[in-house]
Amino acid sequence: MAAYLARRVAYAVLTFFGITIVTFTLIHSVPGDPVTFYIGKSGTHGVPPQIVAAIKHEYHLDEPVPKQYLWWLRGIFTLDFGPSVIDHRPAMDRILEVLPNTIALNVIAFALSALLGIPIGLWSASRSGHLFERGSSVIFFLLYSLPSFWVAILLMQFFAVRHQWLPLFGMTSDDYLLMSTAHRIADRIQHMVLPSLALTYAQLAFYARFTKSALTEVIHQDFITTARAKGVSVHAVMWKHALRNALLPLVTLLGLTIPYLLSGSVIIETMFQWDGVGKLYFQSLASRDYPTVLALTVVTAVVTLFASVVSDVLYALADPRVRVEGKR
Amino acid sequence: MRRVLIVTLTLTLAVSCGRETPAPSATSTAIDENLPQDGGTIIRRLQADVATLNPVIPTSRYDRLVMNYIFTPLVGLDVDLKPAPALATKWDISSDGLNYVFHLDPKATFSDNTPVHASDVLFTLKKIVDPATEAAQVASGFDKIDMTRTHVVDDHTIAVGFKEAFAPQLTKFNDVLVMPEHVYSKGDFKTAFNFNAVGSGPYKLVRRVAEKEIVLERREDYWGRKPFLKTIIFKPIIDFITAWNALKRGDIDETEITSDIWALNNSRPELQKTINFTRFYYLSVNTVAWNNRGPILSDKRVRRALAQCIDISSVINNLYHGTARAMNGPFTPDQWAYNPNVPVIQFDPAAAQHALNSIGWLDTDHDGVLDKDHKPLNIELLIFAGNPSSAQFGQLLQSELKKIGVAMTLTEMEPTALLQRILAGNYDSAYLSWDLDPDPDPYGLLHSSQWPPHGQNVVFYKNPEVDTLIDAGRREFNQSKRVDIYRKLHELVAGDQPYTWTLQVSVKWGIAKRVHGVKLSKGWGLFLWYPGEFDWWIPESQRTHDQPAATKAQAQPR
Repeated sequence: MAAYLARRVAYAVLTFFGITIVTFTLIHSVPGDPVTFYIGKSGTHGVPPQIVAAIKHEYHLDEPVPKQYLWWLRGIFTLDFGPSVIDHRPAMDRILEVLPNTIALNVIAFALSALLGIPIGLWSASRSGHLFERGSSVIFFLLYSLPSFWVAILLMQFFAVRHQWLPLFGMTSDDYLLMSTAHRIADRIQHMVLPSLALTYAQLAFYARFTKSALTEVIHQDFITTARAKGVSVHAVMWKHALRNALLPLVTLLGLTIPYLLSGSVIIETMFQWDGVGKLYFQSLASRDYPTVLALTVVTAVVTLFASVVSDVLYALADPRVRVEGKR
Repeated sequence: MRRVLIVTLTLTLAVSCGRETPAPSATSTAIDENLPQDGGTIIRRLQADVATLNPVIPTSRYDRLVMNYIFTPLVGLDVDLKPAPALATKWDISSDGLNYVFHLDPKATFSDNTPVHASDVLFTLKKIVDPATEAAQVASGFDKIDMTRTHVVDDHTIAVGFKEAFAPQLTKFNDVLVMPEHVYSKGDFKTAFNFNAVGSGPYKLVRRVAEKEIVLERREDYWGRKPFLKTIIFKPIIDFITAWNALKRGDIDETEITSDIWALNNSRPELQKTINFTRFYYLSVNTVAWNNRGPILSDKRVRRALAQCIDISSVINNLYHGTARAMNGPFTPDQWAYNPNVPVIQFDPAAAQHALNSIGWLDTDHDGVLDKDHKPLNIELLIFAGNPSSAQFGQLLQSELKKIGVAMTLTEMEPTALLQRILAGNYDSAYLSWDLDPDPDPYGLLHSSQWPPHGQNVVFYKNPEVDTLIDAGRREFNQSKRVDIYRKLHELVAGDQPYTWTLQVSVKWGIAKRVHGVKLSKGWGLFLWYPGEFDWWIPESQRTHDQPAATKAQAQPR
């Protein structure tokens, strides 16, 4: 097992360096650099050459590209990716500020959609073919295909404009600093409702449909027919035999979702003025903020690789065949 | 013989004297609802959070919106965007235009209760011109400063020397937001002042929470004419629909609105009860940039013929609901440089086709596209991605050009990538929008020395006569002579069509009705000029945003 783990980690490290090279190459091959961003912001007069030189020096743009890569690689190990092009603060500081906001929103949306979507999927699989179930399928399909910005506008219009039940935007109220702890929590929750709903509805539909199809597939397998033939009750067949097997692909799917919890939705975060990763990523790309873009990529890559190593190891623990195969 | 320019404060002082004492509160006697009332809170929208509160390195106009409350410029700009007293109450300019002497208001103090000294101005200027500061937006106005002749004369007088005479120079001092040396000389200059600020403006910073709010409070010890509002809150809201809804709900008091929101809502009676709709023009122009070095577009007759295919009245009425106006050249009607006698190029595809045919562009191979020397008349137009009206403009032009046998391909590009391509000269034409400076000097855009990478003459335009006029305009301090130069320039450049200046789209704004005293400047609209937003007030009976949170001082950078 230890050998398997070591090999898996070694692969992950190699993959990580591959990712760094690809990201670095990609961002540098996009037309425009931080200097272009400064020029674009300075109106009809250009940026004086001595300032262009200073900007290039600050972001190591005056050095050969391989050396720029090494600067950046150094940043990975020291966790200092350099100053942001936008406000000169360390790129990592800004990321650590927004990361919790995105995670909070995503975890809630994820929990809601899994906790509601999976039971709904199971229910509709057990009712497969009924008129009511078919109707709900259509509804879920519709939900899945609705564009999120449009749903966000509708949610805002109904809950925040027509009926002023919920705040329209932001993460906290104006008088947040004066509130008691209990009120602060309540205030944060209020602000989370609309954006998390806007993130949830499509995921929920996705989980419901995924669960339903997984369970439906199992139901049609031979061992279920056998169980039925043995005289096991419909209820027991469903919950004891079918469900356990159907959950396997679902667990894999949930595992793959973990990295997504860190990546924000640009549209939802922008519309609700949520200070998250998606908005930061978008702004950084638009302003060619190399340090922030690269740092964000590293954070996402590390988490994704970590999640994949963990899920591989768990899989290996559960299924000895994986380890045997690895030893070949 | 020194030509002395002295601006006296008499008039402003007369106004301010009457306002030294705040208006009586509501409880005392009946209030005349038409007279400004002291106090109240306004919530303003920022279209993006500020990057920094450091007044030397703003990266966007939003940074400046906030800084304008906290800092005082050395020279203000009045409602006509002409230099006006601010931190400097008067100034002298030598007859050769190389030496400036500024006399600071001796009453001026910073919000930490220290007096403003000439040494603070010198410190600010040094920071601006130091390349390590990377003051990309401000420094270009001080290219020709001579630091060896720039020195403190006494506590309230500073002399600034320049290597070249430059007529627009005085307006550039509007970008010098003076900082106290004893505060800003400590710590890392580029990062230590993102969340705090000490200036000599009428407001002081209470707190800035990134992406949430910036809270400012009026200085009761302010040395100049006190504004009416007690508290200013800025809220960054990126999305225009969210901001519009926030205005309707009363979460914010003012926001820019899109042309579409304007068209749908500005005449709805139920909204007019609470919202004032206003529109005006910035010094911003939409243009088609033609690459003057291109094989086809180097001929000004071709450029003019293409310009005749822009159905400008259709664009104005259909794309902008009639809220835009056609341009006749490089200057807008709100600038003194504008020449009203230059005609707007009329939509006339038949004349365009005739002109192209007469210079040898004929459809010899009968493929529906004009050609010359076996090369088809094929032009690519670059458009900023994510701007629907620009894309529609492109499609309209494309379809008109197709009718006369000109093939136009439209390419939508992400802004920075597009900019990179035009700076490299690797394009035929592009639909751009320029924000112009308060002084009309078009050196950066039209002078042949300003081809990229030296400047922003991205069309690679070169006309020696135009160069001479631009140079003369930069050196001429006599305003009426300057007017003559720029009117001539306007006519000449419009004839050459290096760009086709198409139109100005009016900026639309929704402002809560309770905000009074709102006035417009020609060119800058609602704010940043003086007094601008400092004259706004809210009647005591309509104050909904006054919260203890706003007054509680609490430094909390997130």
